[in-house]
Amino acid sequence: MKLYQRTIRDLHQMLVDREISSVELTDAVFNQIDAVGDKTKAYLLVTRDLALRQAKAADERLRAKRDVRPLTGIPIALKDVLCVKDVASTAGSKILRGFIPPYSATVVERLEREGAVFLGKTNCDEFAMGSSNENSGYRPVHNPWALDRVPGGSSGGSAASVASGEAIAALGSDTGGSIRQPAALTGIVGMKPTYGRVSRYGLIAFASSLDQIGPMTRDVADGALLLQAIAGHDPRDSTSSSRPVPDYLATLTDGVKGMRLGVPKEYFVAGMEPAVEHSIRDAIRLLEQQGASIEEVSLPHSDVALPAYYIIAPAEASSNLARYDGTRYGFQAGGGRNIIEEYMKTRQEGFGAEVKRRIMLGTYALSSGYYDAYYLQAQKVRTLIIEDFRAAFTKVDALLGATSPTAAFELGAKTQDPVAMYLNDIITIPANLGNVCGISVPCGIVDGLPIGLQVIAPGFAEEIALRVAYAFEAATEFHRARSPLMGAAA
Amino acid sequence: MPEPESELSSRQVEHVARLARLGITPDEVLHYRDQLRNILHHIEALNRADTSKVPATAHPLEERNVMREDRREPCLPAETALANAPSRDDSYFKVKAIQE
Repeated sequence: MKLYQRTIRDLHQMLVDREISSVELTDAVFNQIDAVGDKTKAYLLVTRDLALRQAKAADERLRAKRDVRPLTGIPIALKDVLCVKDVASTAGSKILRGFIPPYSATVVERLEREGAVFLGKTNCDEFAMGSSNENSGYRPVHNPWALDRVPGGSSGGSAASVASGEAIAALGSDTGGSIRQPAALTGIVGMKPTYGRVSRYGLIAFASSLDQIGPMTRDVADGALLLQAIAGHDPRDSTSSSRPVPDYLATLTDGVKGMRLGVPKEYFVAGMEPAVEHSIRDAIRLLEQQGASIEEVSLPHSDVALPAYYIIAPAEASSNLARYDGTRYGFQAGGGRNIIEEYMKTRQEGFGAEVKRRIMLGTYALSSGYYDAYYLQAQKVRTLIIEDFRAAFTKVDALLGATSPTAAFELGAKTQDPVAMYLNDIITIPANLGNVCGISVPCGIVDGLPIGLQVIAPGFAEEIALRVAYAFEAATEFHRARSPLMGAAA
Repeated sequence: MPEPESELSSRQVEHVARLARLGITPDEVLHYRDQLRNILHHIEALNRADTSKVPATAHPLEERNVMREDRREPCLPAETALANAPSRDDSYFKVKAIQE
């Protein structure tokens, strides 16, 4: 097996045993980036010099057996919404072209302390707004399983990098499905932790009451390791939780025997591809065979989650994105006769169409005369969604459903119809609004395209979601499948 | 042709773009108006939910009134904070005239 095809745990063992060095491993991943990067366009920026410096430092640690941690020497990709000090960060937007962050995100600092190696900044939908990566201000990403198809979004570059062997693991961010959906569409594992579990300090904000950073990996145990490294309270993010972080690996292999797993009937949505539904039903049967008891449950307000999200997220975005005015950083159009004209020109030229759509939608929903009908009503619906989950979790330990109603679709298939694009996230959005956690794990490959099973667990019960996902993965081979671009695991 | 009153109008789109400090061409006004109308039609589904007795959720936080010691801590040096500025004058961000 090639080095870039392996898991974090495999490589950690090889590094500890001095079978390989981090520099060799990092070189192997960069060679793969050189070989297939033009096809996937997974990266916006490759940080070769930084990575080699970090790899050498990791090798020093490994040689001296000094503070060796699970991620020491492991090459990791970072979504371009995460600030890395002195490394250009654009959030996939032209309005941030040339922006060099003066500080690093907390998750970045934590990975640095682990001794991880940063490969570069991955492509994404502009300001993480999108489900196909076609809203990138620079170029779309292509799915390593079928290059004419999207990788999902908005963390499409992170997903494609892991699925193509251009990274061993990656960080993404998830506001309405942006980790889980691309993970499903590229055959990898992606987890959205509970809001507050991972610090958002240094994450370029989209919707501040929904955004969470999370791991994107080859398998569930790698996801548990990466989450372990980034989770926990951060004094610099007052919304981060002070709850202790459990040892995710300690309960990972406990299995599902005796667990109660719920299947929300509303999650088999209209328009779901039959292949997806079959894979999910098979996955549910398999977990039953593993000893879980399965029962149908109802989340009655699922049908209004999507409209509530498309008020709340754009409203928060319209406020968050007000800072991009060409004054303190990023792109400035120039030529305006006064400050207002200058703002308007800068934002007209700097933002892409989807970002403008959401800024206008959010501004409208918050404007005088419409606030109660849209924003306040959406916030009340959010309460109903929270209560739906709360009621369901009195009966069951976790919920099962598809991550995405479809497998990866062709580039361009939905770009003319914003509403059709929004429907991609119909089964991932409720977890963000309901403040629970969710993970997508590979559960099928149909016509050469991966399908993801979503496991949703209560808020701050990431260990439950990981345990169910691991039990499924341990009984199946889907996570071992490698995209044609990564190559067969020999 | 007059626009139906129940629908988002071109004037409203222009107004919202102005509020959001977004420059927009006349063609874009029509384009975004039609797209936003379609999105708003789907969002109308919100009214299906009975929320008459439901409080609003603005954020999901358990933490309340997060406080810290009131003490001086290091912050970004001015030169670092200004390093990304497209236009600057000495230690200031430079902007266009605010008043004519």
